[in-house]
Amino acid sequence: MFNQAPTIAGRVILQLLRDRRTMVLLVLVPLVIASIVGVSIPSKQTLDYIAPAMLATLILFFGFLLTGISFLRERSQGTLERLMAAPISKLDVVGGYLLGFLLFAVLQTMILFFYFIYVLDISFHGALWQIIVFEIIIGILAVCLGIFISVFARNEFQMVQFIPLIILPQMFLCGLLWPVSQMPEYLQWVAKFLPLTYGVDGIRALMLQGQGLLDIGKEIGVLAGYAAGLMVLASLTLRRGAS
Amino acid sequence: MTKRQAATAAVEVDKASFHYKNIKAIDELTLKIPAGISFGLLGPNGAGKTTLIRLLVGLLKPKSGSIKILGKTPSRQTAHLIGYMPQLPSLYNELSIIQNVNFFARVYRMKDKNQRAQRVEEAIKLVDLWERRKDSVMKLSGGMKQRVSLACAIVHNPPLLFLDEPTVGLDPELRFTFWEHFAELTKQGTTLIVSSHTMDDANHCDRLALMRGGVVIAQGTPIELKKATGKKDANLEDAFLHYIHREERSV
Repeated sequence: MFNQAPTIAGRVILQLLRDRRTMVLLVLVPLVIASIVGVSIPSKQTLDYIAPAMLATLILFFGFLLTGISFLRERSQGTLERLMAAPISKLDVVGGYLLGFLLFAVLQTMILFFYFIYVLDISFHGALWQIIVFEIIIGILAVCLGIFISVFARNEFQMVQFIPLIILPQMFLCGLLWPVSQMPEYLQWVAKFLPLTYGVDGIRALMLQGQGLLDIGKEIGVLAGYAAGLMVLASLTLRRGAS
Repeated sequence: MTKRQAATAAVEVDKASFHYKNIKAIDELTLKIPAGISFGLLGPNGAGKTTLIRLLVGLLKPKSGSIKILGKTPSRQTAHLIGYMPQLPSLYNELSIIQNVNFFARVYRMKDKNQRAQRVEEAIKLVDLWERRKDSVMKLSGGMKQRVSLACAIVHNPPLLFLDEPTVGLDPELRFTFWEHFAELTKQGTTLIVSSHTMDDANHCDRLALMRGGVVIAQGTPIELKKATGKKDANLEDAFLHYIHREERSV
């Protein structure tokens, strides 16, 4: 189990590194979004509230999109079939994608984090390593979600259509822009079932309230549960010997 | 061919069936392929050739009947014994030729770095692309991609090689080159199972199975199959039509 994951991860990383335009976009786009948020929100208090949530949201968004499209290509170009005919397990494939994309997720987190702290002057009371660990958990969730959803798309265009269906509702209901407690009660119930709600709560606790990972056990537990469930679902979509 | 290979049939299919929802793709098919030869699965589109190959490499499981490759049921444990070249080139376009071949060598657990590098070089040289090894696959022509795909399938030196329509879309010269590669592989002891719908490919095979509607309607060497038509200058197309008419008459 996971023996071959580093091989898959190495290939995923190599593929992204050779695609220079995607690499530039991976770094630039989050910075552009962060800059727009920074410039358009004049109140420092509001910016302090939104910026940490942006970290959690952007990792979920880019992790989902990148993995989804990469995996869709893997399915549609026949390379996945070729891999499934090789002595490699489903968990190797999912694990390889996780390792590969998490490297970029960590890179994006660090770039955004330093941009928020040193350029946008966001208040910060936690430890960077704890934020990275928490972001990795969200990243795992995003990668598994991307792999799982890619099975329902036949082309890149369809994959992009899943963003308004899967990601946007979470962005509006997770407490990114306004507190969940101010939303109608039935929406608060919906928010309780969305993983990003726990991602946003957790990262705010780490960055704004100076809490540690041990203090946000509930958020970590829920996110890990979602990630584990999605990992199983993602593995089930990779079939060898299907009858 | 080793003694062990000679003693064991490379492929044994016993009354295997497979259907996609309501479409019967393979219907109680029985087939035995000896080791160390090139074996052609010949038939029109929709005859069940690709489904049979996907069953043989373990991507699909038969609904009934049994399949053995080199004496074992296809599974992840037998995957290292086979090389598989799907119909699509199935390569990573962003990577170079050498990166693609090296990746598949690693996937097939070639752990020793020096040995792997040597096999990667041999495989790429066999398909005559060593000079262009650093080129991105994206920049290659369709025929070159097919050659890279073949290199990826043979890099781990498998005793059993499944090639699904490997010469589709290739010009006659390149097709000839491919068959030269295949002859070289069988000379080295590899068993080749090639699906095709072109009679030109069929003529290169040691033995053939003519497929139609998910069943094998005839088997034999190209000469045997041509002889069965009773015509003097019969080609494989005549043989194929002869067996189709015979089957229709019997129905």
